[in-house]
Amino acid sequence: MAVINYKCPCCDATLTFDGTSQQLSCEYCGNSFELDAVKQYDEASKSAEGESDFEWQPYQADSGNGDWQEGETDGMKMYVCSTCGAQIVADENTVATFCLYCENSTIIPETVSGMLKPDFVVPFKKSKEDAKEALKLLCKGKKLLPDFFIKDNRIEKITGLYVPFWLFDGDADAKINYKATKTRHWVDSNYSYTKTDHYMIAREGSIGYNYVPADGSSKADDKFMESIEPFDFDEAVDFNTAYLAGYLADKYDVTSDECKDKINERIRNSTLETFRSTIEGYSTVVPKNINMQIKQGKIRYVLMPVWMLNTKYQGKIYTFAMNGQTGKVAGELPFSKKKYFSYMFGITGVLSVIATIIYLLIF
Amino acid sequence: MKEMSTRMKKILSIFLFSFIATVIFATPAFAQNSDKVVDVADLLTDAEETKLEKSITNIIEKYNFDVVIVTTNTLENKTSQAYADDYFDYNGYGVGDSRDGILFLVSMEDRDYYISTSGYGLNAFTDYGIGKIEDKVVSDLSDGEYNNSFSKFIDYVDKFLKEAKDNKPYDTNNKYVTSSERVITIAVIFIIAFIIGLISVSIMKSGMNNVVDNKFARDYVRKDSLNLSRQSDIFLYSNVTKVKRESSSSSSGGSSSHTSSSGSSHGGHGGKF
Repeated sequence: MAVINYKCPCCDATLTFDGTSQQLSCEYCGNSFELDAVKQYDEASKSAEGESDFEWQPYQADSGNGDWQEGETDGMKMYVCSTCGAQIVADENTVATFCLYCENSTIIPETVSGMLKPDFVVPFKKSKEDAKEALKLLCKGKKLLPDFFIKDNRIEKITGLYVPFWLFDGDADAKINYKATKTRHWVDSNYSYTKTDHYMIAREGSIGYNYVPADGSSKADDKFMESIEPFDFDEAVDFNTAYLAGYLADKYDVTSDECKDKINERIRNSTLETFRSTIEGYSTVVPKNINMQIKQGKIRYVLMPVWMLNTKYQGKIYTFAMNGQTGKVAGELPFSKKKYFSYMFGITGVLSVIATIIYLLIF
Repeated sequence: MKEMSTRMKKILSIFLFSFIATVIFATPAFAQNSDKVVDVADLLTDAEETKLEKSITNIIEKYNFDVVIVTTNTLENKTSQAYADDYFDYNGYGVGDSRDGILFLVSMEDRDYYISTSGYGLNAFTDYGIGKIEDKVVSDLSDGEYNNSFSKFIDYVDKFLKEAKDNKPYDTNNKYVTSSERVITIAVIFIIAFIIGLISVSIMKSGMNNVVDNKFARDYVRKDSLNLSRQSDIFLYSNVTKVKRESSSSSSGGSSSHTSSSGSSHGGHGGKF
């Protein structure tokens, strides 16, 4: 007869079977368990063992809509910024006079090269006027903002830019075990009691993700791009150079491979969050084993619409970005050191004088 | 004429005698004992004693309030409280019918001290006030600086009586604050104001950046795609812990009083040094 050694769920020591109580008991920690509970515990623990693995199909020139057709890029030109190295693509009728990332005006036109043909493009829905209004609203009530920032001639520089994104699609299969407790308190005249029930919770299942985006441009700050998410991919259309008219487009310079870790982290966190939300009624829940698998995940290359304004102030670039589809805004505004210190010492002075007077009057 | 003068002498001497008798026998019920520093344990020099007596006389004149300092080598099997109260009661201390006064007892037997108040003393020296005075004078007792301790005691009695004049003695709602404590408080006010100033501008500054990185993909979960193939909540074991309950108490301002062996009411507090 095969003897199965069960491990104690509390302390990992080997359990022994007690014939009279029909329970498994642990000599080490003194707990005893129902046979069925230990069997389930053992099965769920083994099931969730093993390494997580997210497997994405690599993106190649022919992965999406294929490469450029003959003459398709003729109507486009590329500007290269001699200061920050940004490579911006525009249609031949759009004239760029400054680098939208670093405000420098020495940008050199070149022929388009090294640009993958995007699979899809999400067209602009918000106008430049919308973007200007959004920036003004963002600046409203900001007491430390330098006065020059909100001047009209500067706001004119807001530019419509297609930012390259990698979109990841995949189904995550997850097996997660949690240690959980329920506690109950009561008191009598001498003691307060706490009873803790210990549980193992097992969740296995799958969850699908569509169009998880990763910024494919090193010039467009990932944080800003994540802040103006989400883009609604249902409005995407097949890429056509006609969509570039009047806008600029950035070229991808971060490969889909380099974005994987970030995407994996986001999918992992959301899967954990979703699975955790199916557990209710416990006082503590701590994940113990986590195993996630993605097989044959798919990657797409898409251009997303962003209104952008970069401002150089005291040696630092401050970015304003607005989602060109939804109007969601992300911005870091510059602050004036002079205003910062006047407010700080002003508040300190007024408060301390008032408090001192009150103190001396009372005591 | 000669007869006359003897008669006059007689009347005069009777008059004088009765006057002296009045002074000697009649006054103890009203007038106070004039020995204000009773240094039985001999902790003070004569010069120190004289000086302390002089400051006490000042207070008596200024406030009509008796101050007594007693040192002893034995409490005669009484508590320090009972000894101090009795010493005050049975030696004719205290001004007026209510016998207003304060007595500072130091016993070398077990190094006890006690501050006993009587009459108006209970109003002027609250439990809080006596505690405050103890804070200031007991450390000198411990160091053997008896004269310092006593002269500080007299100074504080002076200050506390002055404060109590308009019926607002130092108490939990009217704390005794020294000028150095006042300076420290104002410095703390400045520091707190500075911190508030710093926090305010930091809030203003943080409002200028609404950029957050996104560590989740929850916007991109395919609708209704969550499909759970196993959902089991397995009960494993229980344990119970118990902790003994404790109760606490609180206090408020004012004077707490007790009754001495003579039946009079005293306030006060004491301890070891």
